[in-house]
Amino acid sequence: MRFVDEFRDAELGRAVAGQILSLVEPGRHYKVMEVCGGHTHSIYKYGIDDLLPANVELVHGPGCPVCVIPMGRVDDGISVAHHDGVIFTCFGDMMRVPGSDGSLLDAKAAGADIRMVYSPLDALRIARQNPEREVVFFAIGFETTAPSTALTLKRARAEGVTNFSVMCSHVTIVPPLRALLESPDLRLDGFIGPGHVSTVVGARPFEFIPADYGRPVVISGFEPLDILQGIEMILCQLATGRCEVENQYKRVVPYEGNLRALEVMAEVFELRPHFEWRGLGFISHSGLKLTDAYAELDAEARFNVPGLRVADPKACQCGEVLKGVIKPWECKVFGTACTPERPIGTCMVSSEGACAAYYNFGRFAREREVV
Amino acid sequence: MTDDCGSQHCITCGDIATAMTVLRVDVDGLALCEAEDGTREMVQIALVDPVRAADRLLVHAGTALAHQGGDPCEIR
Repeated sequence: MRFVDEFRDAELGRAVAGQILSLVEPGRHYKVMEVCGGHTHSIYKYGIDDLLPANVELVHGPGCPVCVIPMGRVDDGISVAHHDGVIFTCFGDMMRVPGSDGSLLDAKAAGADIRMVYSPLDALRIARQNPEREVVFFAIGFETTAPSTALTLKRARAEGVTNFSVMCSHVTIVPPLRALLESPDLRLDGFIGPGHVSTVVGARPFEFIPADYGRPVVISGFEPLDILQGIEMILCQLATGRCEVENQYKRVVPYEGNLRALEVMAEVFELRPHFEWRGLGFISHSGLKLTDAYAELDAEARFNVPGLRVADPKACQCGEVLKGVIKPWECKVFGTACTPERPIGTCMVSSEGACAAYYNFGRFAREREVV
Repeated sequence: MTDDCGSQHCITCGDIATAMTVLRVDVDGLALCEAEDGTREMVQIALVDPVRAADRLLVHAGTALAHQGGDPCEIR
């Protein structure tokens, strides 16, 4: 399969792993954060960390869209879903994220009309098909997903669909990265930059990382060779004393991003002063809401949203996992009380979450090591 | 959601984009596209116009974000 097979070539993978080995200094420990949950999934799925020298450690970042949604926001969604006449729509994984009193899936089982959709366009179609009902789309995701929501809102307005609204929980990737870089308990040597977010925002927003914090960034694709080459490019920068943003994923990421997508987002969304991230707390200017021009399609203006703030369960250490402070298997409830079938924390819900990815793939390699 | 590699894998939640081939372009900013596994869906193409049949697009959450081009052999 073109664009896939070329990036899963085992012989080439071993060659890149050999280049990586030649770049590391013995006795130095390297910590490289993959920002995106899609990278985390690929790393465990393909066993990429097994190809790396022991002194190159991959740290899993906060780029899983589901994992960063706080419990209170889930509770808010459930509250809207329980309004009379509402059809509440959301993406698949979001259905299973635990709130303080169950998930959207539990609320659906209890009678709320909650439907899984593949895209906001699907939600708009449901609104057209049910003109007597209010259809709410629970919008989550980074800049990869936000343009789709923005285009759908424009389409809803153009078509005059008035029974459609969006509960906007979109977030942006740069503020949490800055928060992580300011964190005193995390020392990182470089970043594997997010691939598909960068398709939209481009490479320029990451220039502050080398400029202000002296850390290299390599935007990488999601195939095994993409990630290996991204790591090799980071180590090459470190070995040669360079520090810049590089783009390994040029086949889909233009340096300036998708300007039309950025324009549409700027028309429909504006930054919230603060937004709560699971495990990371409130981060300034990190969440999106609808602009006043689209206020009539804002579910938070249309419904009484309680705006709850709920503390994470004490046993759950998703926050430390999301910050890369601990590994998934170091969490007290990993694989026992918290599993993909019955997740306590969000990192175990989505397969892009570090805990679920490790549970599904990585633990087998580790169990072999322990034996 | 697809049953990818034995795990329930939500490509929309995961910020994963899918390569799709354009089968037909409609007049209302939509195109019928097909993924490698034969799945077909209507995709918003306003962000990547102009689009023609047989183009390959990177699609996420029902919206095309980029043309998929370049040389897949650029990797060393």
